[in-house]
Amino acid sequence: MTLDPALLARLGPLQVRARKVMEGVLTGLHQSPVHGQSVEFAEHKEYAPGDEIKHIDWRAYAKLDKYYVKRFEMETNLRALLVVDASGSMAYGRGAMTKLQYGSVCAGALAYLLARQGDQVGLIVAGDGEPGSTERLPSGVRSFLPFAASSAHVQEVLRRLDAAAGRGPTDLSGALDFAAEKTGRRGMVVVLSDLFDPTERAVPALKMLRGRRHDVLLLHLLDREELDFPFDDPTRFLSLEDDRQIDAQPRQIRESYLQELRGFLEDTKRELTRADVEYVQVPTDRAPDRVLLELLARREGSA
Amino acid sequence: MGRLVFAHPAYLWGLAALALPILVHLFNRRRPRPLAFGAIEFVLRSQQRRVRRLRLRQVLLLALRCLLIAGVALALSRPSLEPRGAQAAVSRGPQATALIVDASLSMRYRHGSEVLFARAKSEALAALDRLGPDEPATVTLCAGNPAPLPAPSFDRVALRHVLEDARPTYLGSDLTSCMAAAVRALGESPVAGKRIVAFTDLAAHSLRLDAPPPLVPPPPGSPPGTPAVRPSVVLVDAAQGSELPNAAVVATAVQPAASLGARGYEVIATIANHSAAPISGLPVALRIGQQTLAKGFVDVPAQGTSKKTLGAVLPPGTVAGRVEIARAEDQGLDEDDGQDFTVEVPRDLRVLVVDGAPSALRTRDEAFFVEAALAPARTGGRVAPTVLDAEAALNAPLEGYDVILLLDVIAPPKSFTDKLRALVVHRGVGLFVSLGDHVDPDAYNDAFGDLLPRPLHLIKTAADPAADQRRGDSSAADQAARFGVVEWTHPLFHVFSAADREGLLGARTFKYALLKPDPSGASRALLSYDDGAPALVEGTRGQGRVLLYTSTVSHAWTDWPVRVSFLPVLQQSVSWLAGSLEEKAPPPSQVGNDRTVIAPQGSRIAAVLGPSGSPLPLRREKSSPQAQDSVSVQVPEPGLYRVQVQPATGAARVEPALGFVARLDPKESDLRRVDEAELKAQLGGAGSAQVASSAQAAEGARGTPLWGSLLLLGVLALLGEGTLTRR
Repeated sequence: MTLDPALLARLGPLQVRARKVMEGVLTGLHQSPVHGQSVEFAEHKEYAPGDEIKHIDWRAYAKLDKYYVKRFEMETNLRALLVVDASGSMAYGRGAMTKLQYGSVCAGALAYLLARQGDQVGLIVAGDGEPGSTERLPSGVRSFLPFAASSAHVQEVLRRLDAAAGRGPTDLSGALDFAAEKTGRRGMVVVLSDLFDPTERAVPALKMLRGRRHDVLLLHLLDREELDFPFDDPTRFLSLEDDRQIDAQPRQIRESYLQELRGFLEDTKRELTRADVEYVQVPTDRAPDRVLLELLARREGSA
Repeated sequence: MGRLVFAHPAYLWGLAALALPILVHLFNRRRPRPLAFGAIEFVLRSQQRRVRRLRLRQVLLLALRCLLIAGVALALSRPSLEPRGAQAAVSRGPQATALIVDASLSMRYRHGSEVLFARAKSEALAALDRLGPDEPATVTLCAGNPAPLPAPSFDRVALRHVLEDARPTYLGSDLTSCMAAAVRALGESPVAGKRIVAFTDLAAHSLRLDAPPPLVPPPPGSPPGTPAVRPSVVLVDAAQGSELPNAAVVATAVQPAASLGARGYEVIATIANHSAAPISGLPVALRIGQQTLAKGFVDVPAQGTSKKTLGAVLPPGTVAGRVEIARAEDQGLDEDDGQDFTVEVPRDLRVLVVDGAPSALRTRDEAFFVEAALAPARTGGRVAPTVLDAEAALNAPLEGYDVILLLDVIAPPKSFTDKLRALVVHRGVGLFVSLGDHVDPDAYNDAFGDLLPRPLHLIKTAADPAADQRRGDSSAADQAARFGVVEWTHPLFHVFSAADREGLLGARTFKYALLKPDPSGASRALLSYDDGAPALVEGTRGQGRVLLYTSTVSHAWTDWPVRVSFLPVLQQSVSWLAGSLEEKAPPPSQVGNDRTVIAPQGSRIAAVLGPSGSPLPLRREKSSPQAQDSVSVQVPEPGLYRVQVQPATGAARVEPALGFVARLDPKESDLRRVDEAELKAQLGGAGSAQVASSAQAAEGARGTPLWGSLLLLGVLALLGEGTLTRR
C-alpha cells in the first residue's frame, strides 16, 4: 500500500505522517525477500578498510564467505544528521504538499527509523536566521538539534520540522559546513533540498562533506510543476527567496526552461555521483515510503 | 508634388480601429498572473535568451496589425495625389464646356519629343472624354480670325472628329477673340455652369491683357436684366511651364550688289533671337532650290535681332530663293527658321540696232557709240546687240528682239512699219528712235508718226560747230543747247548720283528736231534742252514703249555721245524700253491674308499652285470683260506660289513674273509667355481662372489614386502577421 502524498497530506500533523511513512517502509522491508535475508545480519556490518581486524566475525565469514565486522554498541551507533533545506524555494508546492513538507515527512520518517535501530539523530534546519532566536548559530543554520536517539528526541525533531517555514535565501553551504563540523566522526548526512542555490555553493559543499569521509545522501526534492513547467498564460514569476520577478510567456519559454532545468539536473547528478555522494531525485508527487524503501533497499543491497 | 485628396474621407474613421491591436497588445502585456515560483532561476535564464527576440516579434506583430488596419481604412477613403495647379474638388453642377485648341503657328513648336499641338490635342481629347453625360460641349481651333462657334451639343462623336482631324496652321492666333467667340456660344446653352478650357502655349502675343474679361451672355429668352455669367476658365499650358526659346528669320531684303558684278545681289536677312540667352555662331545659308549659294555665321543678342548679309550671283529671270538658319537640335519652332524671297534678275536683252548711216570710218558710224554702250563687256553680257544697216534691216525678221533702235534711219516703207507697229503694240517690244541727217520729219510722221511719242516738226540748228572751226572761236559752242530740265525721278536716271548729274548737264547739242505738240498729253519729256525743247521723249504704245531722241547718237549734231553720261543713259533707256528696269518681283504676302493676282492682258489665270504644288481654290472677281482677269486666293502656308496662266492661244503655262512668296507672321516666332498673374487677373481673378499643366489637374479629384497601393500594403501586412503568429 503506497501512501501517496495526497493521502498523507490529509493525515494531519507531521508526526502522524512520518510515523505512517515509517511503518510503510518497515512493511515494505519485511515484505522484501531480499531484505528478509539480510535481517539476520542486521547487526553486522561489512568489513571496510580501516575497520579493526579483531572485530571480524569469523563465523559469518565461514557461513557467507564475506568479511563482516561485528557491530559493537559504540560503532553501530551511527550518527545521522538530517539537514533539511528551509529556504524560500522549498516553500513551493501547489500540489498536496510543499517541498518542505514533503522533505519534513521524509526526514521525520528517517528519524523514526534511525532511532529505532539505535542510531543517533541530529537535525539542522538550513535557512536564514530565526528572528528573535537566542541561539548563536552560524549563517545558513536556522536551528540545530544535537545527536540523540531517544523517542523524546525524535519528537523534538518532528516538532522542529513541523515548525519550519520555508523562507529566505538558500545558503546550504553554511549549513553543510556546520554539519561537517558537528558530525565529527564518520557519520551519515542526509540532505533534503531542491539545491536551487544561485550562489552555486551547495554542490561543492556537498562534495567537501563527502571528502571528509561522511556518508552523504542527497534527496533532491523537486515539485512536479517545476519539472514539467505546465503553465500557459502570461505569468509574472516571483522569486520566493528574494524580490526578483519576471514577466514571461510560459508557452514560449517552456522548451528553453526545460532545457535549462535538465542541464542543471544532469550536471548536479553527474558531479555528485562522481564525488560519491548518493543522489536521489525525488519528485514530490511520489509516495515518500516508496522513495525511502528504494533508498534503503539500495543501501542494504550494497551493504 | 501635389496635395493629398480623399474621395471618401468618411472611411478615415476606420483608422480608429487601430486602437484594437494596440489595446490587445497592451492588454497582453499587462495581464500576467503572479506566481511565486521556486525554480525562477531557470525561468530567468530562459527568458533572457528569448527576451530580445520576443520583444521584436511582439512589436513586429503590433506594427503589422496596425498597418493592416490603417491600410484598409486609408484604401477605402480613396486618397489620390494631385499634380501642380490642382484645385480643391469642389462639387459643382454640370457645366457647358467650350474647348479651345490653339492651332496657331507657335503651336508647331517642337518641345522635347513632342510638338505642342500634339500635346494640346491629346489633352483636349482626354478632356472631352472626361465630360459628364449632362455636360454639352463645343470645340474650336483657334487660328487666324475666329469663326463663330457652334452652340454646345451632346454630339461627342462629331466633336471628337473635329479634334482628331485638327492640324496646326501657319496662322497667328488671337486667343482673346477666340474666348470671346466661345462665351457667345456658351450663352446659347441652357445649362447653368459655364466653362472654357483652352489648350495653348500661353504665348504673350496671342493674349490681349487689356481686353475685358470674357462674360457669358444670358441665354436667349432670359428675362431682361439677367446678369452675364463669368465662366470658369482653365488654360492648359501645352508647354507645362517651360520657357520656349526660338530663333527665327523675320525679314529678308534683296538688292543688287554692283560689287559682285552683273547679276550680283545681296540678301540681307534679319534674324531674331527670342530667348534669354544670346546666340553665337548661328549658321545662316542662302539657297536657291537645293543649291547653297552662300553661307555665313551670325551672333544674335538675347531678345534682340541681328542682320546678316549674304551675297551671290543669281541666274537671270525670276529667281526664288530662301534664307535659312540652322535648325535647333533639342527644341524650337522649325517653320520660322527660313524665309523665301523672289527677285527678278534682269534677263539678257536681245537688241536690234538699225544703223541708218553706216560708215567705214568707225567714229563716224552712226551706231558706233551705241554699239560701244551696249557692248557685252560693258553690260556684263546682258545685252547682245545685233547691228544691221538700214537696207539689211528692211528685209530682216524683226521677231525675237526685245528692243529695236532706229538710228538716223530713212523713213522706212509700210511693210517695215507695219511689222514694227505690231511688235511694239502687241508684243511689247521697245522702240528707240534717234534722228540725223537722213531723217525727214514729214516722211517720218507719215510712216510711223502714230508710234512716235510726238510727231516731228522741223530740224533746228542751234549752232554750227563747223563754223567755229572756220572762225576759229568757240562762240558756236557757247550757243549750243544744253540739257535743261531732267526728270531725275524717272527710273532711267536712277543710276545717276549727284556727281554724275553735272556731267549730263554739260553736254552740248548743236542741232536737234523740234516736235509738234502731243494732243493726248500721254507723252512725257524726260530730258529737255535749256530752251524748253524736248530732247528725250517717252511714250507708251499698246504693250510697248517708245523713246524718241531728238538729236543724233553720233557726234554729228551733238557732243553728248562722247561724254561719260551718254553711256548709262543709253543702257538704261534700252533696259527701260525692254521693261526690265522696273521688273520687280511682286511683294511677298503674309500667311493668312488674301492675295489678288492679275493676269496679263489677253490671258486668264488658270491656277495658283501652292508651295506643295497643289492648286488653291480661286475666287474670281466679276469684272468687265475688258479689264484684266483677276483672282484672289487665301494664302495658307509659307513658301513659293506659282501662277499658271492660260493665254489666248496655246497651252497653259507658268508665268514666273506673277509668282510670289508668302511669309510667316514674325509675331508668332516670339513664344515668350504671358505673365500668369496678370492673365488670371484679366480673366476674372483666381476664383474663376487658373493655369494648369494638364486638364486633369485642373478638374481636381483626379490625381494619382493611391488606394490600390495601400490595399496591397494591407494584404502584405496580413500575410506577414499570419506568418509570425504561426511560428
